[in-house]
Amino acid sequence: MIQDTIRKFHEAAASPRAQMEKYMAEGKKIVLTAPVYTPEEIIHSMGFVPMGAWGADMELNRAKEYFPAFLCSIVQSILELGIRGAYKGASAIVIPSLCDTLKTLGENWKYAVDDIKFIPMTYPQNRKPDYGIAFTKAGYERVIRDLEELGGKFDPEALKESNKVYNAHNAVMRRVDEALAVHPEITAAERSDIFRSAFFMTKEEHTALCEEFLAELGEAGADAKLGIVVSGILTDAPQLNEIFDDMGMHIVADDVAAQSRQYRTDVPEMDDPLQALAVKFANMDNCSVLYNVKKPRVQWIVDTAKARGAKGVVVVMTKFCDPEEFDYVMIKKACEAADLPLALVEVDRQMVHFEQVRTNLETFRDMLTM
Amino acid sequence: MITLGIDIGSTTSKCVLMKDGQEIIAASLRVGGLGTEGPAEALAELWEMSGLTADDVDRTIVTGYGRNKYEGADGEVSELTCHALGGRWVFPELRTLIDIGGQDAKIISLSESGRMSNFVMNDKCAAGTGRFLDVMANILRMDIDELDECASKSVKPASISSTCTVFAESEVISQLANGVARPDLVAGICESVASRVSALARRAGVVPKVCMSGGVAKNGAVRRALAKSLETDIDFDPMAQYFGAIGAALYAYRQLSK
Repeated sequence: MIQDTIRKFHEAAASPRAQMEKYMAEGKKIVLTAPVYTPEEIIHSMGFVPMGAWGADMELNRAKEYFPAFLCSIVQSILELGIRGAYKGASAIVIPSLCDTLKTLGENWKYAVDDIKFIPMTYPQNRKPDYGIAFTKAGYERVIRDLEELGGKFDPEALKESNKVYNAHNAVMRRVDEALAVHPEITAAERSDIFRSAFFMTKEEHTALCEEFLAELGEAGADAKLGIVVSGILTDAPQLNEIFDDMGMHIVADDVAAQSRQYRTDVPEMDDPLQALAVKFANMDNCSVLYNVKKPRVQWIVDTAKARGAKGVVVVMTKFCDPEEFDYVMIKKACEAADLPLALVEVDRQMVHFEQVRTNLETFRDMLTM
Repeated sequence: MITLGIDIGSTTSKCVLMKDGQEIIAASLRVGGLGTEGPAEALAELWEMSGLTADDVDRTIVTGYGRNKYEGADGEVSELTCHALGGRWVFPELRTLIDIGGQDAKIISLSESGRMSNFVMNDKCAAGTGRFLDVMANILRMDIDELDECASKSVKPASISSTCTVFAESEVISQLANGVARPDLVAGICESVASRVSALARRAGVVPKVCMSGGVAKNGAVRRALAKSLETDIDFDPMAQYFGAIGAALYAYRQLSK
């Protein structure tokens, strides 16, 4: 039954600690992966279970000992959870250098959470030229060395296999995304659970569950809902998704860092699997934290919205996220030029009351329908 | 058809009764919004003024921040939608509406045909809202309605922060200690609100005809400062505070007419 499958997604999405304990009870070591992109394939190939660490909706307290109050609440909540012991038992955390706040997270982590090793993943700004690929590969080699200190063994053949596992997961997530575009009966909350649960399950398990879900989805139904494209870093707040559902909105595509952006690019087949992984990062695009002076992401959003028949775009802005705020102006102008209505809602991990978001989205719905 | 629009804001409650979406039968306003007796008192006043009862009403729509908690309506609609409808009903040529309420500010753009085409809301922050004026009036021991006349006597408006109400509060106290004339302080306070809201308005785009709604619309000093900052005329109607309730009554009529 599809509802049982959806429930499994929800349970994993809502209980990351339980998932972590389950894997640790099986004798597996956990390596946390901070936003936005980490080489999970390497972690997987060396025998660890990668688990997403994207923070949680909570009141920030201890993290403010290390961060100014206004910094990105996603990053602050990761540190808060680390200090409070929510990740206890994890062997390490890999933190990439993809935005300024993430860079400071790594440095603060070393002092604030001394029982979970900090592994930096330093990416180049210019990732596409050969020298950029070489830089990325050197960063991956550093991650490998750090994981070896924790007992992991690096084997290129194992990495080849892990690359395949991750490509298979990418493929199924792209199919899920396409299927959800024509299945309005799957709510925004359920859609969020499907994507969020991927961070807390092994990719093999998640791929299998997604395959079950796709097999159980019936024929595409008539869409009486209001199709929208959602863009942003993170959209997993239950209150936010409840509002999308209350407003009769159907997310026909997403440009969300914690969702589809993770699965757009596969590792190419090459003799050297580590080189292939670095090429994958070079090939990735259409994301606020991946430098590209031409900003193809902007047109990607417009084209995707048109292709999926969306009536509008909702930008869910994580407060004080500089990369997303820089892109917003271009997205707004491109949507206006394409006659595509756009709404901006601001969220953060500390938000308790969502009335402002509700009023905003209710008005946007009226704007699209009246 | 008789329709009723109720606008429950953060500081006041407004009710408007309309006939056939054409004519206002009665309008009432009571201080006290969400979570107070304000809505019930405004409604009681409305029945007294109109001589009608709830049984005479064909449809009721509630709007404003208190809309989700009000149980006596047939439906609820966002206050931006209602202000746009109400503003356009009063000003048929309206293209930009600036609504400054008790706790927030909103800019609504309308197309030539009157459809809502864009909107911008401020984040939760008292700066640039009616709350800012309340706090400042309190420091100056003035009634909020006295601000306009006092500001009109200003020779050189004081410079007051538009970034933060708390900072602005200490600035006003410092300026008072430095002997700055009260009219100059009040004018500076009104300009501070205008400065904050005009930045928001520019984000949405300002196309004439422009009007203001909400309680702060009554403050001529803020209106004048906004007009100067945006380099455009800003129209005012004495019913500006009722635009939300008018829009709700019009929305109810639209639903009945379908």
